[in-house]
Amino acid sequence: MTLLELEHVDVFYRDLQATFDVSLTVDEGETVAIIGANGAGKSTLLRAMIGLTQCRNGRIRLAGEDVTRLRCDLLARRGVALVPEGRRLFSSLTVEENLLLAMARARKGPWTLQRVYDLFPAMKEFRSHRASDLSGGQQQMVAISRALLTNPRVLLCDELSLGLAPKVISEIYACFDGIRKEGVSIVLVEQDTVRARSASDRLYCLLKGKVRLAAKSSTVTPEAIREAYFGETRT
Amino acid sequence: MSFLPTILNGLMVGGLYGLFGLGLAFAFGIMRIVNIAHGEFIVLGAYIGASLLSVTHLPLPAVIVLVAVITFALGWALQTVMLNRMIGPNPVPAMVATMGLSIIIRNALVEYYGADIRAIDIGPLQDQGVSIFGTSIGVLPIIIFLIAVLLFVLMHILLTRTTLGRAFRAAADDFEILETLGFNRKRVYAIAMGLAVTLSAIAGLLLAIRSSYSPYSGVERLLISFEVVIIGGIGSLRGSFLAGLFLGVVQLIGLRINPNSGPLFGHLAFFLILLAKQANLPALFIRRRA
Repeated sequence: MTLLELEHVDVFYRDLQATFDVSLTVDEGETVAIIGANGAGKSTLLRAMIGLTQCRNGRIRLAGEDVTRLRCDLLARRGVALVPEGRRLFSSLTVEENLLLAMARARKGPWTLQRVYDLFPAMKEFRSHRASDLSGGQQQMVAISRALLTNPRVLLCDELSLGLAPKVISEIYACFDGIRKEGVSIVLVEQDTVRARSASDRLYCLLKGKVRLAAKSSTVTPEAIREAYFGETRT
Repeated sequence: MSFLPTILNGLMVGGLYGLFGLGLAFAFGIMRIVNIAHGEFIVLGAYIGASLLSVTHLPLPAVIVLVAVITFALGWALQTVMLNRMIGPNPVPAMVATMGLSIIIRNALVEYYGADIRAIDIGPLQDQGVSIFGTSIGVLPIIIFLIAVLLFVLMHILLTRTTLGRAFRAAADDFEILETLGFNRKRVYAIAMGLAVTLSAIAGLLLAIRSSYSPYSGVERLLISFEVVIIGGIGSLRGSFLAGLFLGVVQLIGLRINPNSGPLFGHLAFFLILLAKQANLPALFIRRRA
């Protein structure tokens, strides 16, 4: 069943049009990757999905309901959560305060403080640290946990691998199986196409704000991805 | 001639100055709003309290609570009706709007209450004193100081122990992410402004009980608030409190030395601190050697 649906969406970043006529769907329990080069409009598209930026044209539906004009906080309470690019933890709060804040307006669901500590056991050790004192990998664990604690139906992840060591990225991605088991849908925005492909069921490739490729991750060829990613036409 | 009573009295006024600064810093820290009408709300607290005392004859604690409720509603309304429409990267619109509001409130007070300088009379408590360290101190200033300390402690508990307090701090860090966690930004802001105005208005009422006020006192109170914030820092409760105490003590010692000096010495001390903060003394020293 389709959970999140974008129809012909145009989103603007200030006065600049970032996406053109983007249509995509995310099914319940599915992981969808959105890949594309810098400036392809991926992050702006995610902002539209959670209502931080209103799209100028088109429709967004969540579980069949039109949420195009819904405010961000209301969308969040209907089950959309964001792991933002650059983590964006509340730096003057401790790790646990970050997590407690996420629980305050959470929907009912499987994720509890205990569950996210089980998911990232290392987090227990720095729970009382200030968020600004953490390493990038530690911050990413907190950012994912914070989003999960709202018990989302769809989890939007923006550039999880940005600025992290490859080993840390692998650890972060390894936890996704555990998250998927709870039936949550995931939207992964990535520049790292290899990782995005292996972690997802389907993928969309954006080029200059347009969907250039929509395919099943298991069957798409690297050549097709490269072509859509760079906009090369073979001669 | 001992300065001890002067210092003690300065500390007790200073607690209220700290609250003035806290209210201003609260609005600025969370919402980046510089509330120029802050001083007028402080004075408004005094007028509302005085009217309630004379009309209803309720006891002082009840009046304080009533003033808190009324001014919280005013702050809430200010944010909801006016300032929430102006939030954004540019702080100037809100500044100009609150400056306009300050003129409106000031003149409305003149129109309604008249321009004369008043003091609130709360009866026999005003004249009672106790002996501390061999000097006589009024009971009322001590009670007022304790209320100020209590409000600081309550704010500390609010900010560190409750969801609302965490939301305030988080909004100061990154309001967009707070929204993605399901918090209504405008409502958080409205509560924050309500609290900021309440703190200042209660402090304004308490100050009016132990000194005088007029519709024009707001400018002076705003200046003190700014000084407290700049000396004490924006994100720090303790900083605001200590800065308030410092200004209170300096001002009263100045008045003791020269009864005609008014708030001069407090402002002078602030000016010196500002110079010292700007001067970066070690850097000067190094430059001279190079």
